[in-house]
Amino acid sequence: MTEQIKPDLNFINSVIDAGGESLKKCFQCATCTVVCGVTPDDRPFPRKEMVYAQWGLKDKLISNPDIWLCHQCSDCTAHCPRGAKPGEVLGAIRKMTIKHYAAPAALANMVADSKYLLMLLALPVIIFLMVIASQGHLTSFPEGKIVYSKFVPIPFIDGIFTAAFIFAAVAFLGGIKKYWADMSKGVELKGDLAGTVKETIMEIISHKRFDKCNVAKDRSLAHLLVFFSFIGLAITTTWCVFYLYGNKLLGIEKFAFFNFGASPYPLYDPLKIVGNISALALLTGITLVISNRMKNKEKAGEGSYFDWIFIVVIYVIAASGILSEVLRLADIAPLAYPMYFVHLVFIFFLFAYAPFSKMAHMVYRTTAMVFAKHSGRG
Amino acid sequence: MAESKKVLVIGGGFSGLTAAVETAEAGSEVVLVEKTPFFGGRVTQLNKYFPKLCPPNCGLEINFKRIKNSGDIEFHTLAEVEKVSGQEGNFDVTVKKTPRYVNDKCVGCNACAEACPVEIPNEFNFGLDKTKAAYITHNQAFPFIYAIDGKHCKGKACGKCVEACKYGAIDLDMKPETLTFKVGSIILASGWDPYDVAKLDTLGAGNIKNVITNMQMERLASPNGPTGGKILRPSDGKEPKNIAFVQCAGSRDENHLPYCSFICCMASLKQATYLREQYPDSKANIFYIDIRTPGRYEQFYWKVKEDPNITLTKGKIAKITDDPATGNPIVEAEDILSGKKIKQAFDMVVLATGMVPSTSASKVPVEVSYTPEGFVLPATLKKGVYAVGTLKSPVDVAKSVQDATGVAIKSIQSVRR
Repeated sequence: MTEQIKPDLNFINSVIDAGGESLKKCFQCATCTVVCGVTPDDRPFPRKEMVYAQWGLKDKLISNPDIWLCHQCSDCTAHCPRGAKPGEVLGAIRKMTIKHYAAPAALANMVADSKYLLMLLALPVIIFLMVIASQGHLTSFPEGKIVYSKFVPIPFIDGIFTAAFIFAAVAFLGGIKKYWADMSKGVELKGDLAGTVKETIMEIISHKRFDKCNVAKDRSLAHLLVFFSFIGLAITTTWCVFYLYGNKLLGIEKFAFFNFGASPYPLYDPLKIVGNISALALLTGITLVISNRMKNKEKAGEGSYFDWIFIVVIYVIAASGILSEVLRLADIAPLAYPMYFVHLVFIFFLFAYAPFSKMAHMVYRTTAMVFAKHSGRG
Repeated sequence: MAESKKVLVIGGGFSGLTAAVETAEAGSEVVLVEKTPFFGGRVTQLNKYFPKLCPPNCGLEINFKRIKNSGDIEFHTLAEVEKVSGQEGNFDVTVKKTPRYVNDKCVGCNACAEACPVEIPNEFNFGLDKTKAAYITHNQAFPFIYAIDGKHCKGKACGKCVEACKYGAIDLDMKPETLTFKVGSIILASGWDPYDVAKLDTLGAGNIKNVITNMQMERLASPNGPTGGKILRPSDGKEPKNIAFVQCAGSRDENHLPYCSFICCMASLKQATYLREQYPDSKANIFYIDIRTPGRYEQFYWKVKEDPNITLTKGKIAKITDDPATGNPIVEAEDILSGKKIKQAFDMVVLATGMVPSTSASKVPVEVSYTPEGFVLPATLKKGVYAVGTLKSPVDVAKSVQDATGVAIKSIQSVRR
């Protein structure tokens, strides 16, 4: 069979721009595939991805679930005899996959480019400034005991974040649909999808694949902390909805340790305990992420803007969240309210732009892992 | 005007020997110093060498004869240059000689070695067997005079060799000597060392018994080697019928040697023929990134490829583990042409380790700049000093000989200016 190869030169340059500048050093020795702990034995990665990328075979990479089976352990990068950093190159290709499938494309380009950072931040800043202005708190903070809903009332929080969430969900769904269709071309799928999804979720929860890493084995714990703290914080948020609307709609009052109604809740409340533990775990996890990256810089590469903006946003969310609570308890209004403002801005940034940022990895990676299992791979 | 017309040659391997005889035969006096007790260098350790695939003696013996007959070559073994001063035409050189403890009355009868109670790892055979502290490397060594390893010998307290020697050839009172020479020109020919396998962590770091180096394979195949030329694997002396060759074991790797060692592909192709000639039912598999057979060596590659029992697999072996139950090392690679990961056991594995310039162990005794890997940058050498062969770059014997012949002319020009 002869296949005519149509190299996409722009794609090669975009991989290089996206952090894969070492791409062309690869001389195809396949050390990477041998030292990789997470690759399947049949058609292993990342050697073939390196040559596809060098040849500009965009179609073979963008719709290839293998690039998501890679967890960027960086064992390949550490052992590469040429300094071609396959781990970084695959990371760059993953970033391009997110960009490729996310719509609107213009927003995807902005999220990936540091030039637009201030513009992207400006949107939530303006939204929340308008809310605050509508409450008359642009020039003076609310009087009395610090209660954040006096500053930004709950209906605004609910409305803004529900809108952001729906926007992200729609963008994700569109991307994933296209992605699945592209992966499925010419591939035979077998077995039961629901079972595969369950198996994949169990694998993600257990972080089993991370444990096969060598050079960056510390990443397992860091990611685990961030991952579970996100789950913890999601539970906390849902719980708040329960407290609030359980009180408002059903009229449930405080019983035992459970304080139905609006925040703030006392520190002994189980909701508060789950929330605070999750917040501390998030801060610890994301700090570990940063320190691991610094420590492994030489072996695993420095990472791109795309990686770092995601990490920094999570860090700011964790830190500003904890500080908001501490400053509220310390009753320092001039610091507490602005801190809460920062917290809201960054949460908005994380969720509204999730389909275009590295946050999208949770959706694309999960989909690719399901697909790989479903097609008898991985 | 050169005050001294003598040429000093440092290193008695193939390059140094060639430089010495060519210089002397053109009419200049030569001082030849060699660090070890014997001449011949790395070539002596080979079973056969390119381009003609003859045993080392076919080239070395004629050079030894030319040295002995020349009358213009003063040669010293166990001799290391300590200091060089002066300039072209007028260098002062200090040489330190370590005692051999055996004088030239020695007839090579082996009585001292038989009497010697001290066993040491045989460096000449890369640790594949043991030798005595009173030893000779092999039956055609030059000079054919035994040597006593001063580091391990128990000295006069033992003295068993002295009693055993009927010729009064052993003198345990020998002291280190310092020699001084005036020379007009200096040729550096201190050669290369095999890359240290301990650094190849993914390939077993030298801890897997049946994973050997290409230089050890030469000794195993050599008639004067530890097994008398029978290729037997180290762990149990079994005949290995299925051998994997690991190309670029350290070479072309920026974590190890960021250059191609030039000779390893040819060495493995050659060693595959050693195996195939010795055991007709054997198989060899050479794992490579690219097979590099420069110039006319390509024809040898074609010839080897014709053998259906020699397989060439594109894909670097990046992992070797031991199977203690069978002693068979398990190698891992990706077969790039089929796109499948290979995990396969072999009776024995040969690492095609590369060349490291000898300067990484000890610097040359003159001021010069080196590449980051330790190769001498010839343009930075002082006038009247020349470097040869593998000190400058990885090369084969033929190229070293050509280089040494050329440098002989340069050194003669230096002493006649």
